[in-house]
Amino acid sequence: MTTHFITAEIDLQQSPQQLHRAIEAELQQRGEPLRWAVTQVDTEAQKAQIEAVVTVGENAPKPQD
Amino acid sequence: MQRPYTVVLLIPTGIGAAIGGYAGDALPVARGMAQVCDTLITHPNVLNGAQLYWPLSNALYVEGYALDQFAAGIWGLTPVHQNRIGLLFDRAIEPELLGRHLQAADAARATLGLSLTDYVVTDAPLQVELRTAPSGASWGTIGNPDSLLRGAETLIQKANAEAIAVVARFPDDQDSEALQQYRQGQGVDPLAGAEAVISHLIVRQFQIPAAHAPALLPLPLDPQLSPRSAAEEIGYTFLPCVLAGLSRAPQWVNSSQQGLTPTQLWAPDVDAVVIPATACGSSAILSFSQTGAKIITVANNSTRMQVSSESLGIKAFAVNSYLEAIGVLVAHRSGIDPAALNPDLLSIAKVYN
Repeated sequence: MTTHFITAEIDLQQSPQQLHRAIEAELQQRGEPLRWAVTQVDTEAQKAQIEAVVTVGENAPKPQD
Repeated sequence: MQRPYTVVLLIPTGIGAAIGGYAGDALPVARGMAQVCDTLITHPNVLNGAQLYWPLSNALYVEGYALDQFAAGIWGLTPVHQNRIGLLFDRAIEPELLGRHLQAADAARATLGLSLTDYVVTDAPLQVELRTAPSGASWGTIGNPDSLLRGAETLIQKANAEAIAVVARFPDDQDSEALQQYRQGQGVDPLAGAEAVISHLIVRQFQIPAAHAPALLPLPLDPQLSPRSAAEEIGYTFLPCVLAGLSRAPQWVNSSQQGLTPTQLWAPDVDAVVIPATACGSSAILSFSQTGAKIITVANNSTRMQVSSESLGIKAFAVNSYLEAIGVLVAHRSGIDPAALNPDLLSIAKVYN
């Protein structure tokens, strides 16, 4: 297992619950989420910036930042 | 008859919180809040002051990954009277520094009466490296996470540990700008993000309480040391607060065990959540915003984050300080609309259908 820091940009959703799901789904594509947070929101562009640490199994491809 | 009033106090680690971003310096906030609620749920970053800690009989010491699971309704927590704590040491710790930590552990047994198992040393150095994210938050990588998990598994299976205290050797980096700022009570704790990664890995894997204390060489005396950072410079280890916190940290139950014991707490039991106003983008807050808990945001606890409740569509009650937040909690618990405590009170208006 390896630990990786990644960033992501997610479209804001209609509710915090939907945003939570969208973030988890995006991070799952790049590893197993360990810790994440929305660090900035651009309300004009309706985008949320995410910083996260994910883990990746020994033989899985490393995530791209 | 009223149901117990439960408050969650969150100050995320490694984001430069003006209060709670240093050496357990949000502990006075927790002590105050614990006086006005039945149960206070909070986390190591709030309660850990290295050599200093304060036993709060109604506070639950919950690690951050577990708090996220709790907020999402996936895990429930169940209070305990005592945990047997297993100590896991990084193989990279030098013999003399290891000796200091073992003596701190024995002191906790003899002087506080805590229950510890025999200890384990990881089968490889953990290789902790510290980083800073674009937001300014600290984070870190662990070169050998599998070694960390193998060590924790040995403690659980062979020593019957019920909670894990991890001590990893962190880079000393005594001349770094980040450390100098931290000692002045400014900037971001450069160690905190990596500490969270370590404890999150164990809690995610084993679903038991865990917390971390870094092993570092003592720093030269700094006459300008900030009071907010001072608790970490009065001894050889950061371990006593971790052992005290873990000794009564709640255990975790999943949904199949829900209701099996009467003292369990689940996310819907939370009445209020108090957070820094700019740090509303955590997993726990997005989850709690859906549970009916009153979200209280505190403006003067600034952080490096830039995420207000409004920007994410989270309904919150905004206050300036923790003193005000404690007042709002008292009003909320008493069934008093905080608006009634201000001189200007608008008349009710008609809602058109």
